[in-house]
Amino acid sequence: MTQTIDIDIRGQLCPSCLLLTLKELNRCGAAVRAGDAEIVVTTDDRQATATIPATVDRMGYGAAVERADDAYRIRIFGRH
Amino acid sequence: MGQDLLPIVFASLAIGLAAGFVMHRADFCVTASFRDMFLFRDFFLMRQMVLLVVVSMVLFESGRLAGLIPGQSFPLLGTPTLASVAGGFVFGIGMVLAGGCVVGSLYKMGAGSAAGALVFTGMLAGSAAYAEIHPQWSAFARATVLVDDAITVPQWLGLSPAVLLLPLAALGALWLAREFRAGRMQRPAFAVGHLAPWRAAVILAGLGFASYLLVGMPMGITTSYAKLGAAIESLVAPGHVAGLAYFSLQPLDYTPPFSTRAIQGGPGPQLDAIAAIQYPLVLGIVGGAMASALRLGEWRLRGRLPRRQWLSALAGGLLLGLAARMAPSCNVWHLWGGVPILALQSLLFVAGLLPGTWVGARLLTRFVIR
Repeated sequence: MTQTIDIDIRGQLCPSCLLLTLKELNRCGAAVRAGDAEIVVTTDDRQATATIPATVDRMGYGAAVERADDAYRIRIFGRH
Repeated sequence: MGQDLLPIVFASLAIGLAAGFVMHRADFCVTASFRDMFLFRDFFLMRQMVLLVVVSMVLFESGRLAGLIPGQSFPLLGTPTLASVAGGFVFGIGMVLAGGCVVGSLYKMGAGSAAGALVFTGMLAGSAAYAEIHPQWSAFARATVLVDDAITVPQWLGLSPAVLLLPLAALGALWLAREFRAGRMQRPAFAVGHLAPWRAAVILAGLGFASYLLVGMPMGITTSYAKLGAAIESLVAPGHVAGLAYFSLQPLDYTPPFSTRAIQGGPGPQLDAIAAIQYPLVLGIVGGAMASALRLGEWRLRGRLPRRQWLSALAGGLLLGLAARMAPSCNVWHLWGGVPILALQSLLFVAGLLPGTWVGARLLTRFVIR
């Protein structure tokens, strides 16, 4: 079963979203890559909806963005 | 004088509203454009800043050649001194710690960010605090004047501005065309109501030009931070504020477009020409961003911050306020206004801003966001 790692970065200073996402990928990137885990980032930073997908794409991960009430949810997963 | 100032008040308010709306939609952050080069080797937003500067350069110089803009520079720009480099350096550290510059924090505050409001408070305090060191700092500035009879590079070299600015803008345009063709000026974005940053850059250059035509100078806001800081300080210590030399200066003395009478203004707490130009711009940016966020259903008061980030926002705001007086003026004034006419002071500010941003990024990743 896929484990979900939630990070809620609403309200925080820029560029917390990208920095904390990269830190999490650093910690459990292998599990994400293997499909054993997914990272779900909840953020209200509009810029992060562009920078996170672009950055993780370059690293070989997939990303999907959806609106969640007044914020955005960015799912990061392994590309098989 | 009140009646004379009304057109300026309305022009500034309209320009501010439009700028705040556009910056929120595009998340057009000057701080990120500098910071992300050092932090993530990401040059995407810096390319948008280059676009803004090149479009402004063409607009400002065309306006001058067409006779719409008088003179080769605008009011409040001074002679180049090392104070601008030092101010830019401190400003760079401050904007990274604050997570936004003097304008970016306004549009973030407008969209509901409590951190943005804290940065704003810090900026008011930092700007007012500058008055305490003004005598020493202005002595330093006077002692480090680099060129004493020129405001811009063309004046310094004794050239007509068009000879320098138009070829430079053409080179910039060629480079930007290559970047557009290579797909490096756009990237996928998923935020609702998103405006592509390159479109925002063009609109903001247009708004800067509108400000130059209607108000007599490009967008600038930070003298009003000192003014508001002084007004608040004078509620508790009126005697002290009245005794500070900085607050009695009147650096602005010009005849606005569509007027025949000169108007004056300075950083003191009184309502003058600075207040007429800059307060509406500040209010407009906050209001425009708020309107944008409300329309998208994204406006919420957001106050959940780790303690380190509260401290960082406050310290960043204080440094921004202080640095904007040391330089003098802010990144938006220099980057979007001074650099397009090759103002020496603005180029020196940017020369200080780059290493300052690098230091700020190091501090941020080491102490704040871990």
